[in-house]
Amino acid sequence: MEESGITFKATANGLILIMKEEEDFEAILEQISKKLSAAGKFFKGASLDVKYRGKILSEAQEKLIIELMEKKTGAKIKSLQLDTTEPEQVEVAHTDSIPSMHKVKKLFFKGIDEGITKFYRGTVRSGQLISFDGNVIVIGDVNPGGEIEATGNIIVMGSLRGIVHAGADGNKEAIVAALNLQPTQLRIADIITRSPDEEETRNVLVPEMAFVKDDMVYIERFLPQYK
Amino acid sequence: MSEVIVITSGKGGVGKTTSTANIGTGLALAGKKVVLVDTDIGLRNLDVVLGLENRIVYDIVDVVEGFCRVKQALIKDKRYDGLYLLPAAQTREKTAVNPKQMIKLCNELREEFDYIIIDCPAGIEQGFKNAIAGADKAIVVTTPEVSAVRDADRIIGLLESNELRNPKLVVNRVRMDMVKRGDMMSIDDIIDILAIDLIGVVPDDEKIVVSTNRGEPAVTDNKSLAGQAYRNITRRILGEQVPIMDLQSEEGFVFKLRKLFGLKSS
Repeated sequence: MEESGITFKATANGLILIMKEEEDFEAILEQISKKLSAAGKFFKGASLDVKYRGKILSEAQEKLIIELMEKKTGAKIKSLQLDTTEPEQVEVAHTDSIPSMHKVKKLFFKGIDEGITKFYRGTVRSGQLISFDGNVIVIGDVNPGGEIEATGNIIVMGSLRGIVHAGADGNKEAIVAALNLQPTQLRIADIITRSPDEEETRNVLVPEMAFVKDDMVYIERFLPQYK
Repeated sequence: MSEVIVITSGKGGVGKTTSTANIGTGLALAGKKVVLVDTDIGLRNLDVVLGLENRIVYDIVDVVEGFCRVKQALIKDKRYDGLYLLPAAQTREKTAVNPKQMIKLCNELREEFDYIIIDCPAGIEQGFKNAIAGADKAIVVTTPEVSAVRDADRIIGLLESNELRNPKLVVNRVRMDMVKRGDMMSIDDIIDILAIDLIGVVPDDEKIVVSTNRGEPAVTDNKSLAGQAYRNITRRILGEQVPIMDLQSEEGFVFKLRKLFGLKSS
């Protein structure tokens, strides 16, 4: 599904335009145009106060948006201003930031010691995505091209060769463990890392666990080694 | 009971059409009534590989559109009793057929044939969806290369989510000398990742190129190792237990001499 760089929210007081900070302005204009073409006639003849957040706009950019919106909806845009009220609800916090002038409480999944867990049996194949708000345990392998995303821990009872993202909503305490830890990419919270380049594929299983300490990913064996 | 088997891979060029032609011919030589269906609409090759391209009058699109009956489109191969081909269209695209039409077509073919082998096009889009629609079983073909195995893995995932469980694996174009050197993935490496049952290993063989150009499937050639491999696959499909061919035995006279004297190979 295509993620949009903009969202419109309607409130009692008018419209709020929420933009993704990293989208560039051209893309935003295009998406506004698309969204309004689909639903715009609803506002025809109305008089709207529009607030925006997510991106800082210059006066010239504000003017362009007003023009575009008036053209597409047939409404009169009374004002277009930066939204300074605190948002009442936070969606799952993406690590892409909303500018810090808005205080946003990051409530991430706390159940990494004891918490809700999804058990997946079988191999996760290339192109398959397992996404869960909680911990995930895969009883099987994760093949390259397969993806696991969890707000909690990720445990793979097999070879982990795909992409994993633990603590996906920002919890750096989350861990990734596998009987054979060889992911193409490993992410915990907002820290992304990959295997060192010299590592060859192994034939023996080496159970290892990845965790974050001081904003760096460490990998350790979690079973005692016998001679 | 008829069986509809789809031969697929994801990656292009790994040997689906070659496998379809050889397995189909092998089954016909074993006395079965077989129809090969080419679903690669727009890029048809199965007819070329079988040497039947100048006999095509009607094709699969004509059949599903009701322009002709199935029997009119089927081409009987005069060399092998029981082998028929339903060719693809060359001037149309894969959107000319939809999965519902394929299911209807397969059901019609089931009444006449023991085996219906469907040659799937490369990719995961409409062509793939059409090809698997009417199938009971699947055979996944791959070569011992990382990219091919990656794509095969994807395909197996898609087959499983379309209720085509337990696909069988054919590993094609294996070069044992490279595997021994460590330059090529071994069969075990591949099975480790794909985790499905192996139904055959086909060595890289020059005679495949020759047979394709001539339109004579290698399975009929007694001197071809690939042909032998396809004969074994055919027997396995028919339920026989056949051990995997020892591909390392294709060495020259000197190797055999050294073996005779108990000297280790280099």
